[in-house]
Amino acid sequence: MAATGTLLRIGLAQIDDRLGDVEANVERHLEWIARAREAGVDLLVFPELSLTGYHLLHLTPRVALPAGSPVLARLAEAAGPMRVVVGFVEEGETGALHNSAAVLSAGEPVFVHRKLYLPTYGIFQDSRFFGEGRRLETVALPWGKAGVLICEDLWHPDLARRLAATGVRLLIVPSAAPGRVGAPADTEGGLPESHQTWELLTRSTAVLNTCWVAYCNRVGWEEGAFYPGVSHVVRPGGEVVQRSPVLEEHLLVTEIDLRDADRLRWRLPLLHNERFDIEGPAA
Amino acid sequence: MIQREEVRGRLVLDASLAEAVLESFIRDAVTTAGAQGVVIGLSGGVDSALSAALAARALGPERVQAFLLPYRTSSPESERDARAVAAHLGIPHRVIDISPMVDAYFDAAEPEAPADRRGNKMARERMTVLFDQAKKLDALVLGTSNKTEILLGYSTVFGDNASSLNPLGDLYKGQVWQLARHLGLPSGVIDKAPSADLWPGQTDEGELGFSYETADEVLYLLFELGLRPEEIVARGYDERAVRRIVSLEQRFRFKRRLMLIARLSGSAVNLDQEIPRD
Repeated sequence: MAATGTLLRIGLAQIDDRLGDVEANVERHLEWIARAREAGVDLLVFPELSLTGYHLLHLTPRVALPAGSPVLARLAEAAGPMRVVVGFVEEGETGALHNSAAVLSAGEPVFVHRKLYLPTYGIFQDSRFFGEGRRLETVALPWGKAGVLICEDLWHPDLARRLAATGVRLLIVPSAAPGRVGAPADTEGGLPESHQTWELLTRSTAVLNTCWVAYCNRVGWEEGAFYPGVSHVVRPGGEVVQRSPVLEEHLLVTEIDLRDADRLRWRLPLLHNERFDIEGPAA
Repeated sequence: MIQREEVRGRLVLDASLAEAVLESFIRDAVTTAGAQGVVIGLSGGVDSALSAALAARALGPERVQAFLLPYRTSSPESERDARAVAAHLGIPHRVIDISPMVDAYFDAAEPEAPADRRGNKMARERMTVLFDQAKKLDALVLGTSNKTEILLGYSTVFGDNASSLNPLGDLYKGQVWQLARHLGLPSGVIDKAPSADLWPGQTDEGELGFSYETADEVLYLLFELGLRPEEIVARGYDERAVRRIVSLEQRFRFKRRLMLIARLSGSAVNLDQEIPRD
């Protein structure tokens, strides 16, 4: 579908994957890319580390690819005019490995975000196997400026604020967030306890930064931990527009207008008023 | 800071979601392994009944093969309850008497062995039967150990604590009961006193010296909230029970990490080289 103005159809591919099996995962990506193209999606988002699975541990180096790998080029080619965000283990120019997400456009990767905050607590072991990203950048999409933050990055709100302050109107958040089952949910949709918290975070990000948030979480099991999915799109201001089901592979297609962020910003000039010059206690 | 009255409420589970997640766990493990289904030993107790029920829902009852594995001193009520569970779930079951295998060893080599060693042998004998049947049926062995037992080390090494996959290992005993009620399992199985039935009249709570309710709450405060033992006692829990729970947990940690490997190389399996099993 040709890009027109600020209106786009975003697709969140909430998929399962095979841990450490890039070849099998590429085939899955090709299937979901084809499905998304049929659904007229303009921008398709896969979860964090979608090409490899998340809990790789010492398999990490075996599945690493440079951003220029033919594997990514093949997906980019299959995407045709559609933009695709895909997660992979990136072998960087220094040989360090990164937990990265690439934006594919017109047959090639045009942007790579390296995860900036590597959770290493509880079941998370990111910094044992990955190098931290060092740069926060925006990516120019045909509908406007966007930013990519991977999972834990969203828990450090300064990043979203900096992106929004430079004109980003859409935050794309690929994630591999494991679920927890707690007490009976009193919110609609029967969300796992863990993802009630995630929605609190995506929604407050959309409120505080007056931007769209597209959160794509994987489904399935790895090493006894489940990933519930419940990917969703949040409107600037914080309303969840659509949400995928729990634990099922699903393509969530939502029409969004990036202009909505501007319209809200005119009424609610939080970003305009944002101050980066306040003196006070340093951390 | 949390008060004792609040703890029980914290242990209440979203039963519908827990059911969906655990069924997905079993389906995923069986599919990933390329197995035909699961085998499970039904004891007549609530843990194995719940595991079997989750598997029957996840895979369909015909892909869950139950085994009743009585020893000659096992209580007839246990077998009756196990049969009732199999009938309730519509899963096929087979009875294999483990007395000849267990007795052969003790009669020939260790006639003076006391009840606890015989009980451990029974638990291991059952697991060897289940793993053999799993090989024959191209199935996985479904485990039934709950989180309370695992943390207290209340299990037999390479006996009931050995399995291919365990849907109950992150559920406290009270949560097992809660989920069993949610799934509508026979009330006789849910309401009876938990017992390993390793000798006549044995009950878990009698042997442990505290109730499962106390164990669940104390373990929750220790592990999930990070309270120290004295802070737990200060909330009104019996000091002797708390001390015993803490000491069991420490003493039996080895049961949670089987096969300790001596590291020589810098690439020791599971220490330097953590390769995921999935």
